[in-house]
Amino acid sequence: MLSLFLLLPLLGIIALNLPYKGKKDTVALLYVLLLSVGQAIVVLFHPANFWHMPDFWGRFFHLALYADNLTLVLILSIGIVMSAAVLVAWQTISESKSRLNFINLALVALIGMNGTVLLTDIFSLYVFLEVTAISSFILIAFQRDLNALEGAFKYIVLSALATIMMLSAIAALLLFSGDTSFASVSQAVKNNCCNPIIIFAITLFVCGLFIKGGLVPFHGWLPAAYSAAPAAVSVLLAGIVTKVAGIYVLIRLVRDVFGPVGAINDILMIVGIISIIIGALAALKQDDFKKILAYSSISQVGYIILGLGCGSPLGIAGAIFHLFNHSIFKSLLFVNSAAVEKQTGSTDINKMGGLGAKMPFSNASCLIATFSTAGIPPAAGFWSKLMIIIALWQNGYHAYAAVAILVSVITLAYLLAIQRKVFFGILPDELKNIKEAGIWIVLPAATLAIIIIGVGVFFPFLFNSFLVPVSNFFK
Amino acid sequence: MNANILLMLVIIPLVAAILILAIRRLSEIIALLATGSMLIIAIALFRQNLTYSLSLPWAGFGIEFIFRLYHFSAFILLAITAFAFLIVLYSCSFMHGKNYVNQFYSYLLISAAMANGAVLADNFVLLLFFWEGLLVTLFGLIAIGGKEAFRTATKMFIIVGVSDLCLMIGIGLVWYLTGTLTISKITVPLNTLGCTAFILLMIGAISKGGSMPFHSWIPDAAVDAPLPFMAFLPASLEKLLGIYLLARITLDMFKLTTGSWLSILLMTIGAITILLAVMMALIQKDYKKLLSYHAISQVGYMILGIGTCLPIGIIGGLFHMINNALYKSCLFLTAGSVEKQTGTTDLNKLGGLWSKMPVTAVCFLITAASISGVPPFNGFFSKEMIYDAAMERHPIFYIAALLGSFLTAASFLKLGHAAFFGKRNQENENTKEASLPMLIPMVIIAAICVLFGLYHRSAVGTFLTPILTEQFVEHDASVLLVTLTAIVLILAVIHHIIGTEIHGGGVKAADHIHHAPVLGGIYDKAEKRLFDPYEIGLKIVNVISKILSFMDKAVDWIYNSMTVNSAYAASDTIKNLNTGNYSLYIIWSLAGGVIVLIMMLKGFGS
Repeated sequence: MLSLFLLLPLLGIIALNLPYKGKKDTVALLYVLLLSVGQAIVVLFHPANFWHMPDFWGRFFHLALYADNLTLVLILSIGIVMSAAVLVAWQTISESKSRLNFINLALVALIGMNGTVLLTDIFSLYVFLEVTAISSFILIAFQRDLNALEGAFKYIVLSALATIMMLSAIAALLLFSGDTSFASVSQAVKNNCCNPIIIFAITLFVCGLFIKGGLVPFHGWLPAAYSAAPAAVSVLLAGIVTKVAGIYVLIRLVRDVFGPVGAINDILMIVGIISIIIGALAALKQDDFKKILAYSSISQVGYIILGLGCGSPLGIAGAIFHLFNHSIFKSLLFVNSAAVEKQTGSTDINKMGGLGAKMPFSNASCLIATFSTAGIPPAAGFWSKLMIIIALWQNGYHAYAAVAILVSVITLAYLLAIQRKVFFGILPDELKNIKEAGIWIVLPAATLAIIIIGVGVFFPFLFNSFLVPVSNFFK
Repeated sequence: MNANILLMLVIIPLVAAILILAIRRLSEIIALLATGSMLIIAIALFRQNLTYSLSLPWAGFGIEFIFRLYHFSAFILLAITAFAFLIVLYSCSFMHGKNYVNQFYSYLLISAAMANGAVLADNFVLLLFFWEGLLVTLFGLIAIGGKEAFRTATKMFIIVGVSDLCLMIGIGLVWYLTGTLTISKITVPLNTLGCTAFILLMIGAISKGGSMPFHSWIPDAAVDAPLPFMAFLPASLEKLLGIYLLARITLDMFKLTTGSWLSILLMTIGAITILLAVMMALIQKDYKKLLSYHAISQVGYMILGIGTCLPIGIIGGLFHMINNALYKSCLFLTAGSVEKQTGTTDLNKLGGLWSKMPVTAVCFLITAASISGVPPFNGFFSKEMIYDAAMERHPIFYIAALLGSFLTAASFLKLGHAAFFGKRNQENENTKEASLPMLIPMVIIAAICVLFGLYHRSAVGTFLTPILTEQFVEHDASVLLVTLTAIVLILAVIHHIIGTEIHGGGVKAADHIHHAPVLGGIYDKAEKRLFDPYEIGLKIVNVISKILSFMDKAVDWIYNSMTVNSAYAASDTIKNLNTGNYSLYIIWSLAGGVIVLIMMLKGFGS
């Protein structure tokens, strides 16, 4: 069954590029929506073991696919963010051919991400990471303006560095394991845990993932790429691509494959806390809507890594929950920025003001996302931050917990600065005739806002039925 | 009778209070009906002379809703409801036409409800609930007097609030010591903690009674608040409640004995209160203000009496409590009559009202004689009992009490002379006697004063003796003490006559004391409120608040300027570091990688 997550998008790409005429873009939109919404819904109603039954198509591909609760959380997030991004693209890109191209690339990214979360083999994992990365490069440079090309190029350069690191690491690990499956690599690490080559390999791999995930000081490419990319691509990139490519793989490898070897937890926590602080401080003085969100992304990823690094089941559950929440609220914020950019033609928050009255849906949903990011109840982000902070406290990392709470204040400060400068205040004369963004932006914004509030309000239910199994898995 | 009848004593006035707020025009009638029915219930309960107990589930954790009626509380209830009825009757005329009249009745009834509840409560938390409820209505009753009154109300709120806090802490200590909150089951040993608890509870009780140093709001309230309030709360109801609680804690809970230093503490507080307050009363030039200092001074006698821990002293103190409630409220009512009829209470503007307001004047004479301790009025007998007990403990307390008596007599001679006799002021030529609803309560109370005096044995026997657990046989006051009292009273009269001769006029009869060499300076300072604990407290609080405000500004600066600016500076630095230079980003990443590698190797090494 799991292979369908890869095969259906692939089938779509082939079908869409057959030489025939007709309303290909509408069909493509419907298809990709069907796939992404479908994958989100299907995952919600079937537990992990449902997916392990063999299927007909799987016989032709000898890929070792496996799904646990962590995977399902990621597949759910991928489905939600992908559908939002595609709808935003539909609204912001008007040309039929460009729409089709976008959807093609989105399908490639879908295959890449689904593959990354499903595979249990570090080399195949690497291959699907690259599939995702390459589609992202092209997507960033989609509109071929100078900024976008520069952003894409920065991403390529640093991604290449990451690729070199990861590939070397895989080669080094292969020396010991003789096989690239998770199980044998894990065994090899366990048997040779003091071998310097293994340490070197793990270090390289983790650093490569830090680059992919955009953590400080490996984050150089991230603000440029996020802010230069077209609106829909920013949603996809910030919402899910870097989270799958960097953070998910980090969680999976550190927990399941390498194990808590040596100083790895300390390193995760230090990198996490530095990312939290630097990201938040850097966001404070930006005046570009998307740049603020980009730095905010760095800061929020820091929270996830911090929860992972503290090592307790609660911390990991909190990290995974925050990963999910982050994909929802950050893509919502980027959807709002897309709405503002589309309607005003700018992302400079100093040139705006008073849009709240004209764009009520964007205003309200942006506020909800702000609350979730800063961790204010009843938004979903409150619970995940709370779990992470409680886990830190329980494990004796009091200073980290204190910093995590304090930075929440800065988070609120820079996000409220957006809210104040864009949606509140006085409407400038040149924006008098502005309207709410189109339905395909409002619809995903409203849906994501409802998810944030719903998850926040029904958290106790979710905690028992959804997060406890996830953390138990790691015990 | 069902024990649920006890609830009616709280529910009837509360419902009536709400009705009065809703139906403004009928407020007098509703208030009269409510207080009248309360009085009937209280009389019935007192006549039955049974012990009732009513227990309802409440908050849990030992905090239960328990009402207990026994002889003592039935007696206090009777007094409270009787005063409530008479004061409401008086107010029907006095308050007529004032625009806050429905608020006044409503607060008055709620006060009565709270007082009834506090007397009946057999659980400390329940007691506290009613006790604090009384504080709220007290605030409301003073504050309806206007803007100045609001300041006085705030003063009262802070003073009583602080002492109620002491009461609260004391209750907490008692709970800690005994593990129960049910008042009738508590017996506290007098060790260090027990003594602390006693002092805290005592502060709560005597400050409700208006003793020094918790008194300073009462003279202010006398000027600002509506007069029936003064007659009802500081003169009667609060004395009843405060002394009731003091008697309960000294007699039932802590079982103070004559040997205890706490007894001496109580007696000292009593003696000081008597003397200082009466000294202040002597020099007042305002009818109401003079009375208000006496309201403080008389509490001293009760505290002194109870503090002796001798049966005769306790009975004397309690008898003085009820006597004082009677004559003091009646005196305030006469002040109200005078104010209503002449428009002023300034003694310099009054005079010669004897022929114009004969009934008021007779009532004043009777009650003034009572408070001065002239036989055969009630005040004489209760004071004699207290003298007896004080003499038995130590002559110094007796001398203080006697001196207080002398000054009391002197100040009332001055007051009576200035208000009702002497030369009549031109403006008061057309003054008439007060109306009937105002006269009836005064006459009734004055008559009770006379009756309690003539039949003091049966009064003590009916109302007070059953309160004591031990046997108490009243004996005749010693001849020596009675003689001394008579001499003191005669001295007071002589002093007054000489004073009038020297200074020319009843108002100025005590001026030689006012302007005496050392006393004059002290008096001036006291008049400027330099000795008012509240004002002193305010000054201290002012200094503290300035320091705190400075600290707050410093903290504000840290939050509002330093933190924000340093965050912005850091933000600028980071922004400038992200130049968009590829090689720089690659160098960062590689440097980061090297650092991670070093840390990993270190981790493995250890």
